[in-house]
Amino acid sequence: MKKYITGIILVFFVATSSAFAIDGNELLKTVDRNLNPESFEMYRKLINIEPDGSKKEYIMYSVKKGRDKIASLYLSPASEKGRSTLRIGENMWLYIPNVGRPIRITSMQSVTGGIFNNADIMRLDYNAEYNCEKVEKEEGRYLLHLKAKTRAVAYDRVKMWADHNKLLPTRIECYASSGMLLKTLYFKELKDFGGSIVRPAIIETDSPLHKGYRSIMIFAKVKAKTFKDEVFTLPFISNLESLR
Amino acid sequence: MILIKILLSLFIFSPYVALAQEEYSFNLSEIEKEVEKKPYSVGGYLEFRPNLYWLDQDSAFYKLKFFNHSKRKTLDEYNFRLLLDASYQKGIANLFLRTNADLLESDLESDVDANILEGYMSLKPSPFFTVDLGKKTLNWGKGYAWNPVGFLQRPKDPDDPNLPLEGFIVASADYIKSFHGPLQTITLTPVLIPVSEDINDDFGEINHINFAVKLYLFFYDTDVDFMFLTGDSKPFSVGVDFSRNVTTNFEIHGEFAFINSFEKKFIDSNGNMFDETFDAKSYLVGIRYLTSFDTTFICEYYRNGTGLTVSEMKGFFALVDKGYDVFLNSGDDSLLTKTSSLAEKSYGKRNPMRDYLYLRISRKEPFDILYFTPSITGIYSLNDESYSLSPELLYTGITNLELRLKGGVIVGTRQTEYGEKQNDYRVELRVRYYFDAIKLLN
Repeated sequence: MKKYITGIILVFFVATSSAFAIDGNELLKTVDRNLNPESFEMYRKLINIEPDGSKKEYIMYSVKKGRDKIASLYLSPASEKGRSTLRIGENMWLYIPNVGRPIRITSMQSVTGGIFNNADIMRLDYNAEYNCEKVEKEEGRYLLHLKAKTRAVAYDRVKMWADHNKLLPTRIECYASSGMLLKTLYFKELKDFGGSIVRPAIIETDSPLHKGYRSIMIFAKVKAKTFKDEVFTLPFISNLESLR
Repeated sequence: MILIKILLSLFIFSPYVALAQEEYSFNLSEIEKEVEKKPYSVGGYLEFRPNLYWLDQDSAFYKLKFFNHSKRKTLDEYNFRLLLDASYQKGIANLFLRTNADLLESDLESDVDANILEGYMSLKPSPFFTVDLGKKTLNWGKGYAWNPVGFLQRPKDPDDPNLPLEGFIVASADYIKSFHGPLQTITLTPVLIPVSEDINDDFGEINHINFAVKLYLFFYDTDVDFMFLTGDSKPFSVGVDFSRNVTTNFEIHGEFAFINSFEKKFIDSNGNMFDETFDAKSYLVGIRYLTSFDTTFICEYYRNGTGLTVSEMKGFFALVDKGYDVFLNSGDDSLLTKTSSLAEKSYGKRNPMRDYLYLRISRKEPFDILYFTPSITGIYSLNDESYSLSPELLYTGITNLELRLKGGVIVGTRQTEYGEKQNDYRVELRVRYYFDAIKLLN
């Protein structure tokens, strides 16, 4: 409820006070909180679809705490089962049960293959990684121009279109520092997950670099939950199953 | 050979096999049902791995292995493997089992081997305090190909370092504590390793209880471990390792180990055995670098302080040649049998010498072929300038099926580590099918 009130106040403030500029970073924080609570758990199904229609699916369980800690456990397919990833800020690790110890990975790699890379799958809050440089008001939506806070962030610039009333993203374009469009994310199917979490249940993506390929992320059981800091540590990475 | 050809064709054309053409649809409640947690799990993989070797008939290791067989230029091997992972959770207890069954068929031998790689009970009195009892792998270190600080693990195969290893029977604990500030995590891992005639007899000297500790710190965005091993089964060893991202796509890592009073055994060309005791220092430095073209470079330098020198290796190879000549002239194989036993203990182990360079270059999904990763791995013995090169094609586009075609070229003059390997070239196909037995039964 709190976030709706914040959203309504923000919309009211923006709509009635032409004398004041919109604070893009505050707007971005609101979008982040509307997408998910600061600490929560969720299940996701990731589907990579190739131009010939063939597809590959992954299911993962993820937990997030604060602005910069997220961990994920792959539940299926069997070839990926037990793999875990951990992200603390810009540090990312992958644990493979057969190998028996975590290795460092990078945000631009993809554990699953397909268009989603590790930064997309282990996404932090947008306001943790980007500054909003400019907000444009369009018909029924805002266009936020985001710039990466550091060079370590996966995309140098991001354009985010957010619904004017719901303050949730509808489309996001990710650009390299050269200005090249890397991928577009489409947010679809608004769903009430309970506990005041109403957010798009699907993110679809395509990329001009991989014509004809699509990747889809479906969200399920998104639930606010608090975790101890110890969950987001390297020695705990092989124990994520115990949180479910 | 026909089987290999069929499987190669499958491998080469599989990326173009069209699967289901239907448009995607989904149901959230079905996904919610799919993710329901069960207290047990059973899974693993089935593997078929044919190998073809082109043999080097003049090499020392060819002579050791084939001296009492008719001369051959090639060797076919057909390997089958079933790896099973099972777990069961009840309350604070978790049981985990990993078993391995191997079947080898070749012109020379037929062999079946089954093994428990891991089998232990994990007790969690609190989420961040764990006690493990049983057979467990403890893979310490940050190196990709080698781990000088892996005091409690069996040596990895640098040519295939991600293969599961067999553990030792241990009692261990993990205590994790997090903080705010530059030091974010501390984890303490004490380990007890008993060694007797019946338990862990291949760890070291029997009838001793050994103790090891690892302390992990996540400090200023850097992973750091300090560890030691004490007890009478192995020399006292102490080590440190680290890993850190310099940038998001550039990682550095390193390990250092000090081994007190290490005893090295070696043999000269006349068959005289020598013992040398000294304090050994082993270390490794490495990088992992990802380019903007999705190419990953892993490069490591390894100094094996316990390793053999060029002259010690040459002495062994000369002795093998001598033993082979004696066998050819008189039929007496006693010298070859003696050198065979030494080969198993030290000279024939993976990378027994002192200085190595490792380089692996892999390119993810080139030419827009999803799930396809070609790579090449090189291991260079700096001491005798011999090396191996292994090109590899990996395809994982079909759910739960992994196809890998791997070659091997071994280069070195006579009396060098790689020059004396039993084969010059090798081709291997690995077909691995992963399964979740619970889902298959449902």
